[in-house]
Amino acid sequence: MGGPSTKMAASPSPSAKMADSEKRRPSPAIEPTRPAVLINCASEAEDAFLLQAGVSDMVRGALLKVLEARPEEPVDFLAGYFNRLMQSSAEATVDGGDPQRQLHWRLDRALWYLRLAHHSHSRIAFNNNVSMAYDSLSTGGRRKRLGVNGKLYSELLKMTLQGRGATEEMVAPLLHKITCQDHEAVPCDVFRYGVLTCLVLLEFLAKASTLYDALDGGSGTADERVCLAVLSTLEEALHASDASSPIRYLEAGSKLGPDCLALAMDKALAERKATVAMKKEEFLKKASAIFVAKVKPVG
Amino acid sequence: MGTMAHEPAPCTIKSPVVLQVGDVRTELGRPGVAVIDVMLPHSQTIDLQEIAFKNYYTAFLSLRVLRQSTTDSGDENPSKWITCLRNYCLMPNPHTEEGSQDYFSVSRHQMLCDMDRVAAIRLILRQPSPVWLHFSIEELQLFPGGQKSPQKGFPAWLSCPSQEQPASLHDGLPDAHKASSEVQQMWVLTEMLQADQPAARIGRFDVDGCYDLNLLSYT
Repeated sequence: MGGPSTKMAASPSPSAKMADSEKRRPSPAIEPTRPAVLINCASEAEDAFLLQAGVSDMVRGALLKVLEARPEEPVDFLAGYFNRLMQSSAEATVDGGDPQRQLHWRLDRALWYLRLAHHSHSRIAFNNNVSMAYDSLSTGGRRKRLGVNGKLYSELLKMTLQGRGATEEMVAPLLHKITCQDHEAVPCDVFRYGVLTCLVLLEFLAKASTLYDALDGGSGTADERVCLAVLSTLEEALHASDASSPIRYLEAGSKLGPDCLALAMDKALAERKATVAMKKEEFLKKASAIFVAKVKPVG
Repeated sequence: MGTMAHEPAPCTIKSPVVLQVGDVRTELGRPGVAVIDVMLPHSQTIDLQEIAFKNYYTAFLSLRVLRQSTTDSGDENPSKWITCLRNYCLMPNPHTEEGSQDYFSVSRHQMLCDMDRVAAIRLILRQPSPVWLHFSIEELQLFPGGQKSPQKGFPAWLSCPSQEQPASLHDGLPDAHKASSEVQQMWVLTEMLQADQPAARIGRFDVDGCYDLNLLSYT
């Protein structure tokens, strides 16, 4: 970078630049201080360049997302974030006129928003991201605010649940409860609820999977009697709902405590029945049924 | 103190009578005993569950009750005064302040005798220390029994929170602590979702995919 050009970028106006360069040129006395000035100018110029290219905004946005989501691996999170930005800018330029691809791209972006922050780490961040996703879905097409219709919403829910270890059998009853008709307009609140339900189901299944691993004791297959006992204890704890909430929570906590659970499992094992192994898929299916039964349908 | 939710029984509390050796007006020493009688209106009897009061510098309390006899044979079997509390300590050290203005509640199981069909109560207050000018008890309330004790209504999981694990648990039992922690998290997830219902509605008019024609024509 040459001296005059850096000055041009750094100075606020052309006239100021002129005055500046004219003042400097005839005075060799300030020559020794020139490197310092240069560095100063260079850094100012870099700032200006970053600002111009939108890098500052991008980095600020990325850091805000990191602060919001507080991911376990911030560097990986940032890498993924920038990668995503690059992708979407590339897609935005080539989307052309293919509406199908454009739709897919919008869904993809919405899904990415939803996965940026975990729903239980920071509810505010999650809600922010949900409304970003909602907006990004609703601002498609030529008209400004199209809103989200049931088709788009249902498609997004399906995508949310795809490839995350949930089989069709587990997902179908849930989707039946929370998806909408294609023509229906989906309010943001319903949208948020549907998305949250899907994400919570995925987490629930992850927990159930860990639970199965705990129940099999390292052997790979768990006893059906024990599995059923644990699941029915969970179901009981969820159903004890006639009391007011703090009492209900205490009761559930007591029922699901290690002591009571051990007793329930012991009782199940004491039954004189043949030892039948329960497959993990079967266990997850039963667990998801318990969860889905508690989900209130949208309407 | 679930019994405090009950209404206290109506009763007449007479003013304390001090007992003193010699002439009350000329004697220099302070009286050490006072007696308070409590009568029930209209010669009623109550099944006493609990008495509650606020102490005022009384060191020891004795309680006697007039109980109507079990048999209904009238005069031949007259009511008797029975001591049901003897020198119950209200102030651990009569000369110091401790317990001097505390609230006390003495319930049925602390009494020496059965507390059914009580017609009158006599409280005998003693204060051996000459330090205090005056002693009494205040805010005396009698609580009748008969209502179901709330303690019986406690669910089992609350009344025995630390259930003992049976000594001989099955050998192949999985790790209960690990399983419990996972199940509890699954419970939390489900509960959390239930607490997070959408406020907005889609506004459907159809019932199981069908529309009511009448409803449609009016809306």
